[in-house]
Amino acid sequence: MNESWLKVFAPWLRLLGQRRRRLAIGVALLVATVFAAIGLLALSGWFITASALTGMALAMGLAASLDVYVPGGGIRFFAVSRTVARYLERLYNHDTVLRLLADLRSRLFAAMARLDDRTLARQRASDWLNRLTADIDTLDSLYLRLLAPPLVALAAIVLVAAFLALWAPAAGVAVVALLLPAWAWLTFGQAWLGMAASRRQVGHMQRLRSQTIEHLGGMAELEAYGSQGWHRGGLSQREAALNRDLRRIGNVAGFGIALVNLAIGLALVAVLWLGAAAWQQGAISGPVMVMLPLAVLALGEALAPLPAAFTRLGASRGAAERLNAVERASGNRYGTENSILPAGPLSVRFEGVGLHYPDALAPALAGLTLELAPGRRLALTGVSGAGKSSVAALLTRRLPPSQGAIALAGVPLGRIDEGSLRERVAILGQRIDLFQDSLAANLRLAAPEADDERLWQALAWVDLQAWAASLPHGLQTQVGEGGRALSGGQARRLALARLHLRDPGLVILDEPFAGLDATTVARLSQRLDEWLHGRSVLYLVHQLDGGAFDPPGITEVRRLEQGGLTVCAKPGYPSG
Amino acid sequence: MRHDLRTSPRRWLAAHAARQRGWLGLAALAGIAAGALTVVQMALLAWIVSRLLVDGDALVTLSGAFIALVGVLLLRAMCQWGQELAGQEASLRIRVSVRAELLDHLAAMGPVRAGSRHTAALASQLVEQVEALDGYFARFLPQLRLCAVIPLLIVLVVLSLDWLAALFLLLAAPLIPLFMALVGMGAERLNRDQFALVSRLSGHFLDRVRGIATLQLFHRTAEATAEVHEAADRYRRLSMRTLRVAFLSSAVLEFFASVAIAVVAIYVGFGLLGYLEFGPAGELTLFSGLLVLLLAPEFFQPLRTLAQHYHDRAAALGAADGMLALLDEPVRHPAAGREEVPPEDGLVALRDVSLTHPGRGRVLGPLSLAVAAGETLVVTGPSGAGKSALLQLLAGFVTPDEGERRARRELKIAWMDQRPVLIHGRLADNLRLAAPEANDDELYRALERAGLGELLASLPQGIDTPLGERGSGLSGGQAQRLALARVFLSNAELVLLDEPTASLDEATEARVIKALAVLAEEGRALVIATHHPALMAMGNRRLELCEGRPVDRTGTASGKEKA
Repeated sequence: MNESWLKVFAPWLRLLGQRRRRLAIGVALLVATVFAAIGLLALSGWFITASALTGMALAMGLAASLDVYVPGGGIRFFAVSRTVARYLERLYNHDTVLRLLADLRSRLFAAMARLDDRTLARQRASDWLNRLTADIDTLDSLYLRLLAPPLVALAAIVLVAAFLALWAPAAGVAVVALLLPAWAWLTFGQAWLGMAASRRQVGHMQRLRSQTIEHLGGMAELEAYGSQGWHRGGLSQREAALNRDLRRIGNVAGFGIALVNLAIGLALVAVLWLGAAAWQQGAISGPVMVMLPLAVLALGEALAPLPAAFTRLGASRGAAERLNAVERASGNRYGTENSILPAGPLSVRFEGVGLHYPDALAPALAGLTLELAPGRRLALTGVSGAGKSSVAALLTRRLPPSQGAIALAGVPLGRIDEGSLRERVAILGQRIDLFQDSLAANLRLAAPEADDERLWQALAWVDLQAWAASLPHGLQTQVGEGGRALSGGQARRLALARLHLRDPGLVILDEPFAGLDATTVARLSQRLDEWLHGRSVLYLVHQLDGGAFDPPGITEVRRLEQGGLTVCAKPGYPSG
Repeated sequence: MRHDLRTSPRRWLAAHAARQRGWLGLAALAGIAAGALTVVQMALLAWIVSRLLVDGDALVTLSGAFIALVGVLLLRAMCQWGQELAGQEASLRIRVSVRAELLDHLAAMGPVRAGSRHTAALASQLVEQVEALDGYFARFLPQLRLCAVIPLLIVLVVLSLDWLAALFLLLAAPLIPLFMALVGMGAERLNRDQFALVSRLSGHFLDRVRGIATLQLFHRTAEATAEVHEAADRYRRLSMRTLRVAFLSSAVLEFFASVAIAVVAIYVGFGLLGYLEFGPAGELTLFSGLLVLLLAPEFFQPLRTLAQHYHDRAAALGAADGMLALLDEPVRHPAAGREEVPPEDGLVALRDVSLTHPGRGRVLGPLSLAVAAGETLVVTGPSGAGKSALLQLLAGFVTPDEGERRARRELKIAWMDQRPVLIHGRLADNLRLAAPEANDDELYRALERAGLGELLASLPQGIDTPLGERGSGLSGGQAQRLALARVFLSNAELVLLDEPTASLDEATEARVIKALAVLAEEGRALVIATHHPALMAMGNRRLELCEGRPVDRTGTASGKEKA
């Protein structure tokens, strides 16, 4: 479990590596900003000292002169270039971060698109998704918080030390001897001190959130039993645990921030002392002696961002670990091969199929054996939780069975080519996913090549043509987030229209008429019956009552109860 | 009118800050001390240089000054650390008290009003939004005070050295509020625009992720991935347009800080060379000149730091706004279920009560009802008839808009609805919620009576079996029977059940009904809101509601309807 941190970050560093050039330019701009600041202060110190010494010499009547134009110009240059470099650096690096965000999102989306139903169901159950997006945001700043600053600081230390060594080698050595260990401490040391707490803190925060959700969702029961205080106690304990970690992180980060200035200050004292010694030996001039410590002083700007970022490295590591887990989970899919499903209606076969969710107390399906001949329509009934949705998820290869075998048209499910499976098996689930896009785009999901005319036909099939034509933007009307602009019935009919745009050999319909009114059902039921002709059909319904809401043309009925078939209670359907 | 009375987010934050005056004051004090020590450090540095270069002192004679310099550095580091610690402590304490304030308010609102809000959004307000206050209290507020003191201190020091240089800084001083406004406006606009953009982008991303199952089923994930990248890139281009302008405001600040150094350096240099004939320039020495130069950037430093923390303020104001909207929600009548006036007869009585919901009008009443000890009252009626509202009124979760509720002193109530609360923890913890003091034997008995004995026997860890988040692992029927076990465990005299068998299969339903019958036999009063015929048959009294009013029809059994 405890992978080395390099291994945890490796996939993300590789992702960053794709934009190596941009990152390098960003670092260069950061370095330029730091050096403009160093140059400004150091040159100003040199100039003032030189002026003072020249002035004193002139006052004593000695012949002395100072070229004021070159240093004056240098000072102006550094003053302007510091501002410009800083502005460009911020702009350029924010652009980079946003590009990285796009890379990260699409990469993670691609990984999530390969996840199975179980993992995806978990995202709905908890705030997994919110955490995931927060984790992406954490990683997109990896470069700007954890990668560029230590590089810039290191470059600044080494270059300043080299510059100092040109004049007084001992001063250069002192800077390296003092600031390199400080740099190592501010990065690795701070990370080490804060690692445990900053990793734990994310977990505490998450638990605090789910405990809060419990507290709010259970208010009625908690109040009735007078146990609100008892549950609040648990919340307070969690909050205290979170705060303990936050306090520790804060203490460590604060220590680092204080340390930056202390280390810079001590380096300044050392350089001042050594510079003065060199000056007294006549190795350097007075102005240079002043310039050297001031160059060190300006280094503070380069080191300042390190402690806060590195103390919280554990949080970034946690984010990377969770995203790695998503990528890993998306890896263990079916060993897909390339069997192509035949045209026409498909047969379905379940043999001793069991399905066990990892944390469930009882299996969702146990020893399910089921057969559907081509072109027939099986209604699987049962209350919610009986296992109907599990059957649908297995059949659409969105979950692997724990035991047993499933075959479509005689081909083991695992061997079927992904494209062929999706083309030949269609499902209308209970949840209708509509995307924040136009009506047309939502329909074209089913048939990317379809022209507008076909879309209108599909809408007409579900009686939405008149409605859509009455909209000012017609097919280009936006359906809102999750199809919010549509009523539940409209959304369901749109999903049916999506189905109609395809030509599947097996159709799975989960409560196809839920949320529709009787007149619409009467009309749709007949059309659906015609369209389903020549296809195999699996209906998933709560209960059949023989009324108009029963789906059309059922040839056989099976009832699921607690993950297994029970003896059919309604033998009233013809078997042919 | 209400809106005018509302505290502004700024004032609310200030009130919380006032309660941690001590720690915040300490943070500012430590920061000011660190600032003053910086001035001392610079003065020592300039003095050492001046002694060496101007007075020609030997290095060794200055070792005392060097030691003092190291001492000042150590002291300053401690002050800086102290500033961080004190600011953090204030922020932590404030966050704890804000969270408590919000939870207290939610409790006072009651399960109905609080429950009508989106739980996940509320939870994020209580967790993430409260954490979003951190930067404002820990960093921004102390820094704001530093901004008022340190530049002044530096101007005074510079004034004593060279009044013309001080004048440069003073000329810049009136510009400081201007810069602050500029930076603030920039940051605020940056924040607002960025926030809108980012949330739109996140919205797009979440929308596609939520529908991933559908995209998989349509075999369209590759196209969607490209689209996700394209959307993120489009927002990048839009963002950059805003950022180009927004970054200018901090660039201006940066520019002035740089120019201040440059101007001071050139002024001091020319003064020392004797090129300047006017003002105090002639009296400049290496010491005063160098010190003025070293202090010039320090003059702007507090403001630059403040600009960096400006987004903390915007984040806190945004969070506070949402919290105030919550704190503005009315609470239950203070007497609700607290001050108990015993009813003349029975456990709980409602007299001429009516209840209105904003936007829906009257949902219940006028109606009078008394529940006697040991009776089983069945409440029926179409959905929306007010069954749940009646149960909530009986429980005291809401206060009636008219009429009154009277309950027997220290009346113990049990509540069960379709979505029982399941806490992350062991099975035992989930039961002890109803009776924290219960021992293991009692827990086993309660589970047995609720029809969970079989399940329990199949669990190797028994009542110590952990349940996942939100009870994952339990089926709907099992969760319902767990809630029932809680009812058994509690010694509540009045049991309120809101559709206890909805969405259960027949076998489970029969078990639950059998268990409810046992409860009734124990002499507990049951009030059951239901559609199920089998449950209706249980009651010895029946109340039928229609549009919130009792329907005048003789009930199943001995109907002594009061309404």
